[in-house]
Amino acid sequence: MTTGARRAGTGVTPRESDAAAAVLAFFDAYRVRDVERMVDLCTDGAGFRYVPFEVWGRQRVVYGEGKVRTVGKVIWTALIDAFPDLANAVTSLRADADGNVAAEAVIGGTQARAFGIIACVGGRYELPHLFLFHVTGDGLIDDIVAYWDDVAWKKQLGCLEVD
Amino acid sequence: MSARSLAEEFFAHMEAGEVDEILGMMTPEATVSLVPLSRHGPMATDGASYLRELSRSFPDLLVRVRRLFVTGDNTAAAEITIDGTQAGAFLAVANQEKHVDLDQAWMLMVTPDDRVSAVIAYWDQNQLYRRLGVKRLDKVTITAE
Repeated sequence: MTTGARRAGTGVTPRESDAAAAVLAFFDAYRVRDVERMVDLCTDGAGFRYVPFEVWGRQRVVYGEGKVRTVGKVIWTALIDAFPDLANAVTSLRADADGNVAAEAVIGGTQARAFGIIACVGGRYELPHLFLFHVTGDGLIDDIVAYWDDVAWKKQLGCLEVD
Repeated sequence: MSARSLAEEFFAHMEAGEVDEILGMMTPEATVSLVPLSRHGPMATDGASYLRELSRSFPDLLVRVRRLFVTGDNTAAAEITIDGTQAGAFLAVANQEKHVDLDQAWMLMVTPDDRVSAVIAYWDQNQLYRRLGVKRLDKVTITAE
């Protein structure tokens, strides 16, 4: 997959430009599966929330929510382990003058190992995502939120269980 | 009116089930992409159909805007939570009177003359099914006991 980022709008402020650059660098690092670089592009205390990520156990629900350096790094590493050719293409990128960035990206890969309840049958997926970032004035990401549809993901990989 | 105000008005109308009022905020050619439903088409048909079904199925719907910002191209990006109790079949899922709270992200592209020209929405349909009691993705019309 290649990056086809489309910058929307005119009269871009330096803050918008810097925030967009930080986010594009993040996806560049993700595309080459460099988790350390992804983390380095974030502040020490950067927040992390993968909204669809819910693991429902008998006693409790574990959410994909916390910090980049704890929860985020673990999820990214597990994803890359399960999908060793994981790649992305940024399809739209929009920023404001306060460091907020909305980025749509298609993420995909070929499954090599089980991931959660998704057993490995060697399937391949491509899935649209919407990421919402906040980038500091220093050009570091201090918040990442992502939305996607697990139904489309699971169906492509042959998993038909909700939980 | 700013794109922020327009977005707030859009979600207030969504909560109230005022679909005609939402359509009145759109350009005539406005499009919608409801990504998890793979529905991409005119707001006047695809968008209106979804919003009417949402309103009919969840008559006590609450829409809470949790985050809202406007990007340089006048797009309002919003994180919202929809909250309600099912009172009718929704997206082929039979009614079990389940309570639903679902986080979503919407983008509204706003024209210089304060019309919405495009709407894109993301959420996790798996989370919705889980809350509605669906167990299998190939049997969404057969609900939990």
